[in-house]
Amino acid sequence: MKKKNAFRKELPYIAFLIPALIVYTVMMFWPMVQAIFLSFTDWNGLSFEGLHFIGFENYAKVLHDKQIMTSMTNTFIFAIFVPIFVTIIAIPLSVALNSKMKTRNFQRAAFFFPSVPSALVLGYLWSYIMSPMDYGLLNKFVTSLGFRKVLWLSKPNLAMFSVIFVCVWSQIGWHACIYLAQLQSIPGELYESARIDGANGWQIFTRITIPLLKPAIGTSVMLLLISSLKVFDLPFALTGGGPGFSTTMISQVIIQKGFSDRMYGQSMATAVLFFIIVAVVTIIQQKGGKKNG
Amino acid sequence: MVNKRARNVRSICGEIIMLFLSILMLIPFYYLVVNTFKSRQESAASPLALPKQVVLDSYKRAFASMNFFQSFTNSVVVTAVSVTAIVLLAALAAYPIARRKKKGYKIVLFYFLLGYMLPAQTIMIPLYNLLQNLHLLNNIFGLIMVYASWCNFALFLYQGFFSTLPVDMEEAAAIDGCTPWQSFWKVVFPLLKPITTTIVIFEVMWVWNDFMYPYVFLSSNKSFTLVMQVYKGVGQFSNDWSMMLATMVIVLVPVAIFYIFMQKNIVAGITAGAVKG
Repeated sequence: MKKKNAFRKELPYIAFLIPALIVYTVMMFWPMVQAIFLSFTDWNGLSFEGLHFIGFENYAKVLHDKQIMTSMTNTFIFAIFVPIFVTIIAIPLSVALNSKMKTRNFQRAAFFFPSVPSALVLGYLWSYIMSPMDYGLLNKFVTSLGFRKVLWLSKPNLAMFSVIFVCVWSQIGWHACIYLAQLQSIPGELYESARIDGANGWQIFTRITIPLLKPAIGTSVMLLLISSLKVFDLPFALTGGGPGFSTTMISQVIIQKGFSDRMYGQSMATAVLFFIIVAVVTIIQQKGGKKNG
Repeated sequence: MVNKRARNVRSICGEIIMLFLSILMLIPFYYLVVNTFKSRQESAASPLALPKQVVLDSYKRAFASMNFFQSFTNSVVVTAVSVTAIVLLAALAAYPIARRKKKGYKIVLFYFLLGYMLPAQTIMIPLYNLLQNLHLLNNIFGLIMVYASWCNFALFLYQGFFSTLPVDMEEAAAIDGCTPWQSFWKVVFPLLKPITTTIVIFEVMWVWNDFMYPYVFLSSNKSFTLVMQVYKGVGQFSNDWSMMLATMVIVLVPVAIFYIFMQKNIVAGITAGAVKG
C-alpha cells in the first residue's frame, strides 16, 4: 500500500521524463542499436526481409578498403595537429587579449568571429582565397613577392596542411576565449610577487600561467579532439576530400559509401568502428581530465 | 623613469602588432564582401581593392536563383522549433533526474549518457531509413525531429546546473499546494534562465550552420535551408563568381547579426563551461 502511494507520488515526475525518453529512444538509441546490428548483416538498404547474418565480413572488407583506411589515417592526422596548433596559438593569444590594450574588445571580436559562420561557408571562402585562378588572393600575394604560384589545394600533403590551417584559423579565437576565462580567475597578486622576485615574462608564462591554465587546457583539448574527429563540412567544402583521397575524412566516407555507393554494410561497419574510436578517446580524455583537475 | 617609458613603447608596439593580426584574421571576410560588389575582371585585377562603383547586381541574381524567402523561412523554422524542442525536452527531463532521490532516475540518466559519445555519422543510415518509413524524408519536420533528439547534451547541462540551485523555493511551492507541473513552470524554469540562455545560443548557432544533416536528409529546393542553398549554388553557378559570393554573404549575415547581439552571452557561456569543466 505504501509502495503504491510512493509510486503514485512519482508519477508526475515520470511524466516529465517521457517526451525526452521517446525522442531520444526513437531518434538516437534505436538507430544506434540498428547500426551496430546491421553492420553484421548483408542488408540491402531496402527491407529487413531476407537479411543474412554475415559476422565480421563487412569489418574485414573495411580493413582492406584503401579509401576507408586512408580516410582513417587522414582523420587521425587532422585530429592530432588541429588540437596541437590551436592550443599552441590560443594560449599566448589569450594572454595578449587579457592585457589592458585600448582596442582589446575589437581584437577579441576579430579573433572570435571566424568561429561564427557555417564551416561550409568558410571552406568555400578559403577555396577561393587559395585558388590558383586569377582571383586567388593568397597566390596573388605569393607571386607579388616574386615566388611561383603554390597549389595549396591540389597537392596531397599541402592540401592536408591547408585544411588544418583553415580549421586552426577558425578555432583559435573560440579557444583563446576558454583560456581567457581561466586567466581572469588568476589573482593579480601572483604576478606582482613573481615580478618582485625578479621573474621575467617567459618565466611567469611557463611557471605561473601555464600550470594555472591546466584545467582549461583539458577542456579545450577535449572539445578540439572530438570535433576534429567528427569533422565533415570544412574539408568537404575546401577540397571535396581531394586531391585523390588525400583529405577525405571518415565522416565523408561513411556518407559516401552509404548514400552514393550503396554499400550499406561497409558504411555501417565503418560508422561503428568510428563510434568505438570516438568513445575510447572520450573516455581516455575524461579519465585524464579527472586526474589533472 | 626610463623603464616606464620603455614599457610604454613596448605596449604600444604590442597593440599595433595585435591590431595588425586582428585585421589579418578578418581579411577573408573583407575579401568575401568586397568582391560581391565587383565585376569578375575587377576582382581578378585587384581582389582587395574597393569597388570602382558599387554594383548590387550579384545580390539580385543571388536572391533570384536561391529561392531566398522559402529557404530563409525553412532555416528559421528549423532552428526555432528544434531549439525550443531541445530546451523543453531537456529541462523537463533534467528536473526529476536532478531532484528526485529514487534509484530509477539514475538509471535513466545513464541511459541518456549512452548517446553522449555517439557521433551523428554512426546513425545516419538507420535514421535515413526511419525518416523514409515515416514519410518525413526531404521534410523540414523530419529534420527537426533529428535535431531534437540531441536533447541529451542540453539535459546534462541542465542537470549540472540544478546542483547550484537551492531547493527551498521548490519546497515552499509544494507546501503552498503547487503540483510538480505548476512548480516547474512557476519556480524552476525561471531559475534556469542563465543556463537556458547558454543552451539556446549554442544550439541556435549549431542548427543554423549545420550542413551534414540537411545534406543527407533534404533533397529538393523547396525544403532546403540557407546553408544548403550555398552548397547548391556553388555546384550550379561556378561560373558566376560574384553571385556565389553574394549567396555566401546572404547566409552569413543573419548569424553575424545574431553574434553581434549575443556576443556578451556567448563569451559568458564559454566562460561558464571552462571554469566548471
